[in-house]
Amino acid sequence: MSEMARIEAEQRGTLSFLRVRGEIDISNDEQVLKTMEAAIPNDTTRIVVDLTETTYLDSAGLALLLRLAERLQNRRQRMSLVVPTGSPVRSVLELTGLPRWISMYDGLDDSLAEGEA
Amino acid sequence: LVERNVTPLWPPTGIAVAAFLIWGRFVWPGVALAALAVNLPISTNFLAAAATAVGNTLAPLVAATLLARVGFHRQMDRLRDAMAIVFLGALASMLISASVGAWTLVLSGSIPARMFPAAWAVWWTGDAMGVLVVTPVLLTLWRPRSGGSTSRRLEAIALFVLLTVLSLWVMNTRLQLMFLVVPFLGWAAWRFQQRGAAPAALLVAGIASWSAAHGMGTFRTGTLFEKMVTLQAFNATVAFSSSVFAALVSERARDREALETSAAELEARVQRRTSELSAANEQLHRDIVERIETSRKLRQQETALAEAQQVGQIGSWEWLIPENRVVWSDEMYRIHGYRPQEFPLTFERAVELVVEEDLARIRTNMEVALGSGRDMDLPSIEYRIVRPDGEERRLLGVARLRVGADGAPVRMVGTVQDVTEERKAEREHRIAETLQRSFLPDRLPEIPGVALAARYVPASSDMEVGGDWYDVIPLPSGQIGLAIGDVAGHGLRAASTMGQLRMALRAYAFEEGSPTRVVARVRHLVRQSPAPEMATLIYLLYDPESGIIRFANAGHPPPLIVSEAAGAAYLEGALSPPLGTLADPGGIIEVTRELPFGSTLLLYTDGLVEHRGSSIRDGLDRLKAMAAQAPKDPESLCDHLLSSMVGDQGADDIALLVVKPEPLAGAPLRLLLPAEPSVLAPLRQTVRRWLREIGAPPGVANEILVACGEACANVIQHAYGGREGVLDVELSVLDGTVEVIVRDEGSWRPSVGTDRGRGQQLMGGFMDTVSVETNRHGSSVRMRRRVGSGAHR
Repeated sequence: MSEMARIEAEQRGTLSFLRVRGEIDISNDEQVLKTMEAAIPNDTTRIVVDLTETTYLDSAGLALLLRLAERLQNRRQRMSLVVPTGSPVRSVLELTGLPRWISMYDGLDDSLAEGEA
Repeated sequence: LVERNVTPLWPPTGIAVAAFLIWGRFVWPGVALAALAVNLPISTNFLAAAATAVGNTLAPLVAATLLARVGFHRQMDRLRDAMAIVFLGALASMLISASVGAWTLVLSGSIPARMFPAAWAVWWTGDAMGVLVVTPVLLTLWRPRSGGSTSRRLEAIALFVLLTVLSLWVMNTRLQLMFLVVPFLGWAAWRFQQRGAAPAALLVAGIASWSAAHGMGTFRTGTLFEKMVTLQAFNATVAFSSSVFAALVSERARDREALETSAAELEARVQRRTSELSAANEQLHRDIVERIETSRKLRQQETALAEAQQVGQIGSWEWLIPENRVVWSDEMYRIHGYRPQEFPLTFERAVELVVEEDLARIRTNMEVALGSGRDMDLPSIEYRIVRPDGEERRLLGVARLRVGADGAPVRMVGTVQDVTEERKAEREHRIAETLQRSFLPDRLPEIPGVALAARYVPASSDMEVGGDWYDVIPLPSGQIGLAIGDVAGHGLRAASTMGQLRMALRAYAFEEGSPTRVVARVRHLVRQSPAPEMATLIYLLYDPESGIIRFANAGHPPPLIVSEAAGAAYLEGALSPPLGTLADPGGIIEVTRELPFGSTLLLYTDGLVEHRGSSIRDGLDRLKAMAAQAPKDPESLCDHLLSSMVGDQGADDIALLVVKPEPLAGAPLRLLLPAEPSVLAPLRQTVRRWLREIGAPPGVANEILVACGEACANVIQHAYGGREGVLDVELSVLDGTVEVIVRDEGSWRPSVGTDRGRGQQLMGGFMDTVSVETNRHGSSVRMRRRVGSGAHR
C-alpha cells in the first residue's frame, strides 16, 4: 500500500459510494480530487464519501472536500460524509465547522438512512 | 833384425804412448827411466842408451801431445781416433825416435853409416808398430771391464784360440796364407771392437814378428829386407785394418745407439707431444661441446624470450645510432601489423606508423636524451600507432640510451608493450565501477527510529566489477522499501543491468504496495530484455510504525534477523526462482514477520557467505553464529561481519545492509528535511511513533500531528517561493507538555485565503499555544500542547 491514498468507488443505482483509504495532504490532494471526480458519474444524485479509513486529513483535505462538494452542488448532486466517532479526522472536520456545509454521519447506515429520509 | 838393436816391433814405445795417454805427460820421468833401463843392456854404452832413451821418451810424448791436440778418444771408438793413432801417434811421432835412435847407433858406432837408412826404417817401423799394436791394447784393456755375458766370454776365448792357432799355422806353412787371419780380425773388431781388435792385432802381429825373426814358414825365404817389408806391411795392415775397422764398428754402433737414443727420445717426445695434443684435443672437444650447449641454451632463451614477448605482447628494439640501423624483435613487427622481419629498418621507418602528435613527444624525449651525453633511461611514454590496416593501437614504450667513451650516442634499446586491450579493459573497468558506484545510494536516508548501515565491498580482483546492489527507499506511505540483489556476471554488462533493475524496482516500489507484486514486475521486466541476465533479489517492505516486515525473495540468500531474545534466525520462505530464469511462478509468495525493537535485520549478498572450499550452508551457519555474537550497533555489525567472514581476500563483491529499529522515546525528535510535499508522509510516520512512545493519548496525538502537519505544509508551500529549502521540525516533551517547533530559512508570508486560514485555525484549535517568530534568517512556529500526566517526563 505505497500510495498514500486510495479511492474505492462503488455505484449503487443513483448512489455513488466512495471510500477513501489512507492520508490526504498537500502532496496528493489534487490527485485525490481528480480521482474522486472521475469516479462519480453524472447521473448520480447522491454521493457518500466514507472517511472511515482515512488516517490523516488536514486543511488541504478539508479544502478538497469543500471544493468537491461545491462542484457537486453545481451539478445538483448532493454529497455527504461518513466519519465515525473517534476517527482521526473527525476532530479536524468538527473544529473547522465543516458539518455546517457538508452533512456528516457517524456511519454508513446513518448516511443512507438520512438520504432516504 | 838389424844387429839386434832395432826390432820390427818395439812394444815399449806403445806402452809409453799408452802411459802418457792414460796418466798424462807428467809421467815422462818414469818413461825415460824405463826407456833407459830397457836400452842400457842392448846399447853399446850409457851415452848411447841415454840418447836412445831420450828419443824413445820424446817420441811418445810428442805422440801423446799431438793426439791430445786432435781430441783423441782413448777408447778409439771413432774413425778419426783410429786415423789419429795411425798417422800422428805412430807414423809421425816415431820419426823422432827412429831418427834419434838411428843416429845414436851410427854415432855410437854400433852400425856403419851406410846402414843408417835401413836402421832408421826398421826403427821407425818398429816403434810405429809398437804404438799401433800395443797402445790400443793397453788403452782398451786399461778401462775396467764391463761385465760381459758368459757367451761373449766364451766367444772371445774361442776367437783368440782360433786366431792363435790360425796365425801360428799360416806363419809356419809354406803357403802364402797370411791373409786368412783377416776374417778373424774382422770378427774380433765386429764383435768386440777395440777391445777385441787390438789384442787380436797384437797377437797376430806378435806371432808374425816372432815367425819373421825366426825365419819360419812364410819368412823362410827371401832377403832380410824382403822379409822386413812383408812383415811390416802385414803388421801395418793388420793393425791399421783392425783398428780402423773396430773404430768404424764402434762408431757405427755408437751412431746406431745415438740414433736409437734419439729415436727413442723422438718417440718419447712424440708421445709427450701426442699426449699434449690429445689433452688439448680433449679440451677443445669439451670447449666445443660447451659452446654447443651454450648456444643451444642461448637459442632456447631466445625462443623463450620470443614466446614471452608474444604472450606479453612486448616487443624489443635496438637502434644502432651511428649507422642509423634499427633492429626489431619479431613481436615488434607483429605489434606494428607487419610480418616478423619483413624489412630492415631505420629510425624514420621505425616510427612512421606513430601518430603525429605522439611522435613529436617521442622526438622531444629522444632529443633530450641524445643531447645529454650520458647513459640514461628515457621516461616511459604511451603513444598511438596506426597499423597499415588502419587499426589504432596504444603502445607503452621504455628506452635506454648508451653513449660511447666520448659521450656520443652509440645505441638505444627499449621495449614496447601493446597496452591497447589493457587500456580498453581499464576504461571499461572504470566505467563499470563508476556505474556501479553511481547505482548505489550515496548515503542512506535518515529515518528517525530506524538505524541503517550499508557496505559495498568490491571483489579483490581489480578488473572485476560485480553486480551486487542494495537500495533503501522511503515510501510516501512512511514505510521503507529495502532491496538487495545480485546480478550474475561481472563487468560493464552486469553493472548496467544492475542499474536498470534498481531503477525499475524503485519505480515499482512507489506504485505497488506488495513486495510480491514488486518482485513479479521486476521479473517480468527482466524477461522482456533481449538477453535476460540471471539475478537474485529480495524486496522487503518495513513499516517502522508497526514493526511489520513483508518480503518476497527471488533466489537470494535469506535475510537474517538477530534478536536479543531468540538469537539469530534466517527469514526462510517467500522464495521464488531467480530473475531471468523462469516465468513468474504466480501466486502470492510473501511472508510477513515482525521486527521488534532490539532486533536487527541483515540483508547481504552471497559474497559474504560463499567461500572457496566450503559450502554455502557452512557459510550461512557461520554468518548466523558470527551475527549472534557481533556488536548490535549497525555500523559496528557491518565492520565485524566483513572482517570476520571475509578478511582481505574476497573473491566476489559483497553488499551488506543492516536495519535496526530504534526507540525514539523521550529524546527530542529533530528532523531536517527538504521542504517538499513528499516528505510529509514519512514525517508523520515518525512523529506518530514518537508521540505514541511518549505516551500521548491517540486523540491528542492525532491533533498534534495535524497541527504539526499544517505548520510543515505552510513552510513547504510558502516559505521558499518554489525554491529548494529546509524544513526543520523539532518535537520535545517537558513536564507533560509537548512542544513542536517548525522552522524555515525563507520569508514568512502571512497566509491568505481560506485554506491557510483553516490551517491556522487547526493549529490554534488543537494546540494550547501557537507563536510565530520571524526574523531575517527565517521564521519559526512554536506550538505547545499538554498531553497529560501519562506523558514521559
